[in-house]
Amino acid sequence: MSLTDSDTRTLPTGIAPIRIVWVATLAALVLLWMLAQNVEWIADPESVVTIPLAGWISDAVKWLANDLTFGLFTFKDLTRALAWLLEIPLTVFITLLSSGAEIPLGGESSLTLPPIPWFSILLAVTWLCWVWGGRRLLLLAAASLVYLVVFGQWESAMVTLSSILVAVPVGVAGGMALGIWAYRSERVSRGLTPVLDLMQTVPIFAYLVPVLVLFGFGPVSAMIATVIYAMPPMVRVTMMALRGVSPELLEFGRMAGCTRRQMLWRILLPSARPSLMIGVNQVIMLSLNMVIIASMIGAGGLGYDVLASLRRLEIGDGLQAGLAITLLAILIDRMSQAYIAYRESPTATRRAQGVNNWAMIGGLVLVSYVVGFVFPSLSTYPEALTLDTSPFWDELVRLINVHLYTYLDAVKNTLLIYLLVPVKRFMLDVPWLAVTLLLGVVGWRLGGLRMALVVAAMAAFIALTGNWQKAMVSVYLCGISVIIASLIGIGWGLIAARSERAYKIAVTSVDTLQTLPSFVYLIPVVMLFQVGDFSAMIAIVLYALAPAVRYTAHGLRRIPSETLEAGRMSGCRPRQMLWRVRLPLALPEIALGVNQTIMMALSMLVITALVGTSDLGQEVYIALTRSSVGHGIVAGVCVAFIGMIADRLITAWVARRKKQFRIN
Amino acid sequence: MPNSDRLKCTRSPLAASLAVLALAMPAVAQDYPESDRPIRMTINDWTGQELTTRLMGGVLEEMGYTVEYVQADYLAQFTGLESGDLTVGMEIWETTGKDALEAAVETGNVVALGETGMEAIEEWWYPTYVKEECPGLPDWEALNECAEMFASPMTSPNGRYLGGPVTWGGFDEERVEALGLDFDVVHAGTDAALMAEVRSAIQREEPIIAWVYAPHWAPIQYDGEWVEFPEYTDACYEDPSWGPNPDMTHDCGKPRGWIKPAAWAGGRDVWPAAYTAIENFTIDNEQMGRLIGQVDVDGMPIQAAVDQWLQENEDTWQSWIPQN
Amino acid sequence: MNDVSQPADAAAPAPASDDPVRETKLSCRGLWKVFGADEAQAKDVIRQNGGAPGREALEEQGLTAAVRDANIEVQTGEIFVIMGLSGSGKSTLIRCLSLLLQPTSGELIFDGRDLLGCTDDELIEIRRHKMGMVFQHFALLPHLTVLGNVAFPLEIQGIPRAEAEERAARMIELVGLDGRERDYPSGLSGGQQQRVGIARSLATEPELWLLDEPFSALDPLIRREMQDEFLKLQKMLNKTIVFITHDFDEAIRLADRIAIMHSGDIVQVGTPEDLVVRPVDDYVREFTSDVSRAKVLSARTLMRPADEGATFAGDIAPNARVIDFAAQAVEAAQPLAVRSRSGQLLGQVDREAVIRVLAEAQ
Repeated sequence: MSLTDSDTRTLPTGIAPIRIVWVATLAALVLLWMLAQNVEWIADPESVVTIPLAGWISDAVKWLANDLTFGLFTFKDLTRALAWLLEIPLTVFITLLSSGAEIPLGGESSLTLPPIPWFSILLAVTWLCWVWGGRRLLLLAAASLVYLVVFGQWESAMVTLSSILVAVPVGVAGGMALGIWAYRSERVSRGLTPVLDLMQTVPIFAYLVPVLVLFGFGPVSAMIATVIYAMPPMVRVTMMALRGVSPELLEFGRMAGCTRRQMLWRILLPSARPSLMIGVNQVIMLSLNMVIIASMIGAGGLGYDVLASLRRLEIGDGLQAGLAITLLAILIDRMSQAYIAYRESPTATRRAQGVNNWAMIGGLVLVSYVVGFVFPSLSTYPEALTLDTSPFWDELVRLINVHLYTYLDAVKNTLLIYLLVPVKRFMLDVPWLAVTLLLGVVGWRLGGLRMALVVAAMAAFIALTGNWQKAMVSVYLCGISVIIASLIGIGWGLIAARSERAYKIAVTSVDTLQTLPSFVYLIPVVMLFQVGDFSAMIAIVLYALAPAVRYTAHGLRRIPSETLEAGRMSGCRPRQMLWRVRLPLALPEIALGVNQTIMMALSMLVITALVGTSDLGQEVYIALTRSSVGHGIVAGVCVAFIGMIADRLITAWVARRKKQFRIN
Repeated sequence: MPNSDRLKCTRSPLAASLAVLALAMPAVAQDYPESDRPIRMTINDWTGQELTTRLMGGVLEEMGYTVEYVQADYLAQFTGLESGDLTVGMEIWETTGKDALEAAVETGNVVALGETGMEAIEEWWYPTYVKEECPGLPDWEALNECAEMFASPMTSPNGRYLGGPVTWGGFDEERVEALGLDFDVVHAGTDAALMAEVRSAIQREEPIIAWVYAPHWAPIQYDGEWVEFPEYTDACYEDPSWGPNPDMTHDCGKPRGWIKPAAWAGGRDVWPAAYTAIENFTIDNEQMGRLIGQVDVDGMPIQAAVDQWLQENEDTWQSWIPQN
Repeated sequence: MNDVSQPADAAAPAPASDDPVRETKLSCRGLWKVFGADEAQAKDVIRQNGGAPGREALEEQGLTAAVRDANIEVQTGEIFVIMGLSGSGKSTLIRCLSLLLQPTSGELIFDGRDLLGCTDDELIEIRRHKMGMVFQHFALLPHLTVLGNVAFPLEIQGIPRAEAEERAARMIELVGLDGRERDYPSGLSGGQQQRVGIARSLATEPELWLLDEPFSALDPLIRREMQDEFLKLQKMLNKTIVFITHDFDEAIRLADRIAIMHSGDIVQVGTPEDLVVRPVDDYVREFTSDVSRAKVLSARTLMRPADEGATFAGDIAPNARVIDFAAQAVEAAQPLAVRSRSGQLLGQVDREAVIRVLAEAQ
């Protein structure tokens, strides 16, 4: 919202001198503020009208679940059938990896087949990793799996893995199908975009209850919730990737006489594959992100371990289980990337030539399975040999708590008194009409009338559904967190862009931060900083840091070396290089990173509600506890709208900025 | 790792150990199990609940039922209970789950199965060392004298009282006002956050006053006491003239609350004997406290604690099983 | 080289007397391609203006014509080059000829068949078996090997993989890439990639070969080499070719006939020699002014009726270019005889005439 005079040179709508518009807006704001003291409806939207949307939604969901029928079967039958269908592959994986099977042999006797033992999986996965990615990947795989075994996380990890192995393909396939559909039809594409925004930003707690009602209580519902959350990036990436396929390739396809189907499967998708992999990576990361919440509705596995440990305040145990989730995420992601690289490498350079990979793996698993079956004692890793570092972590937190608390407390109090509290007071004081007006003007300046209307309408929705106060607390909490996260993230991104090594370290750290369940650090944070906004802020910053780092580093690395050389030849000092050349050129990327940071921050609101905030996230959580479907969804949509307002404005600003620089 | 057998949604390994027990038992009339359908019991994320559930589950298995344990969120589980996806949740606390339970019962799809015999105690609680500096405790009238020692910069000069999650209710704001306490109520978001702050303060031996409840590991693991408010009666919450403040309600302590199992109503026709057994289930705070202590303080695996209790208290749980 | 020559003023070509009679393989008449918000409207505008609306008439409606009233006839076995600068409409024209773009109006006949009336399925069949196309930026599939790329058009027809790969391997050999079959496109140089593109477009043995600026993305040296090989290939295969370029030198090197396009209009169609000797307007003259005339003028243009009883230093063909016989003519004392393929004396070329052409080129 800090539009300076320099922006006014390019007027999208040259009706009035822009300066006058700003002065007028400012005057209107001040006026509104003063009037707000006396005129109730300016300050308090609820005195205007409160749309009872929550009640309507609750009724609609009830109707869906109980009354909607298609004659032969009801809507609920349909969703239950879908759940049943998804349960089949899940059961197969769980049987193979975790529970084993019991085969009745007639009469009383039965044959108990144990699950595939850990060393079989270790062998098979490390073999695959070696073939696909060489020694580095092999080491990563071996280290991760050994960690799972030695730290006693194996069984839980296999439960989690089973649901990931179903959720990720479903998310990828569903996302691709929607993306293809949107690619083919402009109308679908336009209709889908806001839906995707909502899917990504409405907190999962908001729609947890309807999902449970329709799909039943258990791992399948957890999986469906996971897919809803993890699929949107795949849709977006697919649309983008397909649109990015060179028009010549499409022409070639048509000239070669491809049918529509051949065009899709043999030209479009394969040549878009590298871009599609970015989507796959996102689906994997987000699915593992959902592990914790999924465990609340019966998915079990590592997520449950984290939750249960932290409930008992066993920080070390929680951390160990959380790290297991992170390792799984990173391993699956790196394996999928290595596999694509392997597929595209010249045959001659591949490892293990002449060996049928799948036969090899089948053989390895079969032989080791039989060994495990004959010597069952081998298949369970002896408990005496497991490691447990949790006393160390618990002790570490204790030591920090006992010895450093005074300093931490001082930092916390300073920030609270001089930053957080004043900002919060300010945000709560601004009348809703003023904010809506300001957003409208900014939207109009950045993207024209349509944008102004959309943005203002979303703000008004928040006000008129009775969520204004809570929304402002969310904005304040997220706003401050985003600013801090952006500063840290951009700084880190600058360092990461310096060398390949620093970049790799940054990417791995960022992946870890994003997949390590936030619960793991939430509890130590509360121990050190007490319940309240400050702890919430720290948790948000930690989680939302990632995109700022990633995009900044990416943007800086993309600057053409010629431009940098030109800067150096003009005699720029390092500081001038940074401020005059590198940062301005990377600005569009950095802005996108900040945009994503905002989204991440908003998605953390529901989690931070668990430490005790009084914002929209808490509202969603309360609605969940009261089983009040409508309230949850309305509050969730309000969170989404805050995100969408920020997104629309930033995207428009970036587009303008890019136009200024003639960057494509 | 102690949590390894908590992961499965499948049959409990307890079945095997109990089979041995079964040999030594007198024969009982066998018109159950009425159905092979698995009874799906929810496991919430606190130790006491899991102990209760596995105790009951062990008894049901002993009766011949198939039992499945499903991990579920405390509040999200009601949706599953209403639809029959889940069969029974063993611990619904009056203090935290009353609204949800009532709403669920109203749908006609959920029933409460008696009470567990445990009593939820919830009150303002402080670690014993606090008393050294505030000798008037546990009497509530001593609170105002020491309010400043509980203060934080945000609440100063008032004391900071760490309340439970908003969703737990508890009328602490009303209580503070009615009793004229110089305290601000700060709500933790979850049980875990609440306990994290309690532990943190105890590690540093700093004064803290917070909402603690039993049965729970915290009052077992840490030395501490409940503040003694004027004792709760229904009149206190309804009649302003009652109690030290003649003009306001809530000028007393918190009520003690029941803990009930909630079950899918349709299940009564499927497993009637099992439902009767669950209704008969009873255990007192002291025994549960000991079990929680074994697990959370001494590090005993949950299943081991459960098995041991079942072995030692056979008469007790035999009496829950309906006899024809 | 093929024997084609044209009467100077012929927009529609008529074969010269000593050439075999050729059939028309591909032709278009009154072909328009108009871009704009509403193409249906464009059709009406064209019809209302008697098939030839002015630019203003279109612009009024917010339309722009990329191809205006194109008439060409491509004959079996000839190399027909469409030449124009960027924005002239040449790329749009070739895309209309291959129906990658639907023309706004006009007719398009291929092998006596109206392409615009074909169903989608028929079009797919025609493209699978009768057309091949080479693209400026190669348009190779990054996920397939050289062999996989070349075999691709065969495989999508449903030809079994083994057979498709065998035929593909033959094509790869033809373009001189044998040994690189298992490589991926990313590992090849630009010239090599375009060889793959050429092999792929020929794999289905098409009758009509469309090349859209195939050598424009290559270095000058490589371009030259590829042009030579292209001519060699065509000598062997004798396809009907439509070749797009923005490079006039390339056009005169390769073309039997050239169509010059300018702002959507086809300005002139003719042999390279026609264009140089008889440009229809200043635009064409501007193009041809830099061209060394020795490279385009043929013996037929230079000759005069043979003197009675003259003796000749040697025989040349009527379509031989000056550059090819200049040395012979300048060194010889006597003129050269121009004879048709059957040996009939058509005329003589004098030493002075050749020297004049060479001098002019300076």
